[in-house]
Amino acid sequence: MRRSSRGIIITASVLVICFCALLVMMFDYHGAREEAGVTYITKGTIDTGAANLVSAIYLNYRLFDTLFELLVFSVAVLGVRFYLAQQRGNEEEVTRIPESQVIRTSADLLFPPILLLGIYLVLFGHLSPGGGFSGGTVAGTGLLLCAVALGADVVGRRFHEPTLERFEWEILLAILLLALIPVLFGRLPFTDLLPRGRLGSLASGGSILIYNALIGVKVFIGTWVIIHYFVRHRGEI
Amino acid sequence: MTSQQALLVLLPFIAAFGLTRRRRFTAVIGMGMFSLTLSAVYLLLNAPDVAITEAAIGAALVTFIYVLAIRKTGRLVIVGDEAPGLLEREGDRITGLEQEILAGFAHHLGLDLVVHFLPREEVEEALLRGEADIAAGGIVHVDAEDRLLKTQGHLPTGLFHLTREDAVEPKQTQETEWIYFSDVLEAIRAQEKGAYTLDLARFIAVSRLDLSGYAVERLPGSFSYTFLLPPDREELHKRLSAYLDHLRQNGELDGMIRRYFS
Amino acid sequence: MALINGVTIAIVLFGIGLLGLILRRDLVIKLLALGLVNGSTILCLVSLNARVDGVAPIVHSPASVPYVDPLPHALVLSAIVINFAILALALVFVMLLVERYHTTDSQRIEHEIEGERTP
Repeated sequence: MRRSSRGIIITASVLVICFCALLVMMFDYHGAREEAGVTYITKGTIDTGAANLVSAIYLNYRLFDTLFELLVFSVAVLGVRFYLAQQRGNEEEVTRIPESQVIRTSADLLFPPILLLGIYLVLFGHLSPGGGFSGGTVAGTGLLLCAVALGADVVGRRFHEPTLERFEWEILLAILLLALIPVLFGRLPFTDLLPRGRLGSLASGGSILIYNALIGVKVFIGTWVIIHYFVRHRGEI
Repeated sequence: MTSQQALLVLLPFIAAFGLTRRRRFTAVIGMGMFSLTLSAVYLLLNAPDVAITEAAIGAALVTFIYVLAIRKTGRLVIVGDEAPGLLEREGDRITGLEQEILAGFAHHLGLDLVVHFLPREEVEEALLRGEADIAAGGIVHVDAEDRLLKTQGHLPTGLFHLTREDAVEPKQTQETEWIYFSDVLEAIRAQEKGAYTLDLARFIAVSRLDLSGYAVERLPGSFSYTFLLPPDREELHKRLSAYLDHLRQNGELDGMIRRYFS
Repeated sequence: MALINGVTIAIVLFGIGLLGLILRRDLVIKLLALGLVNGSTILCLVSLNARVDGVAPIVHSPASVPYVDPLPHALVLSAIVINFAILALALVFVMLLVERYHTTDSQRIEHEIEGERTP
């Protein structure tokens, strides 16, 4: 066992180093890759009305990709739920977590600002860095802090979990419908019909704000479901 | 060298540190450090959205679920009746000689110890049904079914038979025979009629009560306490026997016995 | 181009992650190494078009400021969140495996599966 493992280490290292050296040498640093980016930079704000070009891209120009990415996210959360729900033990051992004063106080103090930061990132996603994914994740982190301080079951009892899980799928449906509404007006789907607004104001960017809000809530619920099912399966921290 | 380059150079070292640790926990924390540094690099590369997302996910959420995932995986389920000195409840905790032996064994296997209290007669059924891994709680080896695997006795004991024919009828008529030891204590305290066979540890606990109306008889022979396992868990039986032998050889078992029964 | 830039470091990290994935036997460390490979790919994409004097792609004034190319950022943003969800799913499978075989050693798990398959 020892001899062959040393051989494996050396062989693997040599192969991987050669592969990486090849990649580095093959890499072409003078590329014509600039072209797509330049188009987005020059015409991004005119087309979409949003100041944050990244949001403009993944919620306006490339909304189709984002839809499928949300679907992948939902299916992953569904998978976690499915496999962990099967594995409930015979008894529910309710482990009481020892209450730590430091964590409890810091969670009390920090949870509102974190939630506020998450909401800010979601709502102002088209004007400053952030967006639905970032804001939803940050809000999920805040809820994680609460779960660590109070116990995930305690936090989970505050909202009705089955409704929350169904709501996540309804949000996905809402995003899809919102993207398909232009068909009713005789346009292509995935076009943006809302007015562009003045650049830099909150009411700008067309329907990017709505998409950001929906995605933010969705990611928030998804991360909470993952956290809760993990904690239920493995015990509290 | 710009600050961007300095952080970039730092990244492979942190990654190598994270991935070469022995303890899984240290590796997870190392990768959390890596995510945080990576987020700073994204900020310096003028990608603020990516930086925020990477910080929130890599540092907080990923570390959390990894820490949950590398916990003790699975449980060792013990069933038994309460036996003073061997397996008894003290408020929130469970203490006793057998609990300590089994806790060490569970730690050795990398499992969590979970103890369920059941009446003595249900214990063997629970093992056979596959609901539990080991039966403990002052089980004397002649007392148990033959199908079940037994370990070598870890503590010698004696058997006592208590009978009382006259006096008070039992408070509640038991349909079944399944009673806990605490019920036995209550019955004797109330001086009820009944016949019980108790091992030494339980007898010591009972002897603090008033036994004047009971006929006490010690059964001849030498007995010892044992653990029971289901007949299909031979691997577990082997490991438990090996663990007990190990404890016997380095004297820890004697030390523990002295601590609980001196 | 300077030797130390995002792309080369990303390739080095990719190599480290790949080595970790192959050489470490513990399942959880393998997953960590896979996460490292993910992170290195994202770093490569983000730093492909990065300029030295760039500015974050938030447009407040007309395009005379050298904005960084926003396309890789957009592609990568949702990829990070999805990586987390897929990692959670992978960890679920690792947990189920570990609970069944009581070890996180991938070689021992393979051994036991082989033992179960051949009657």
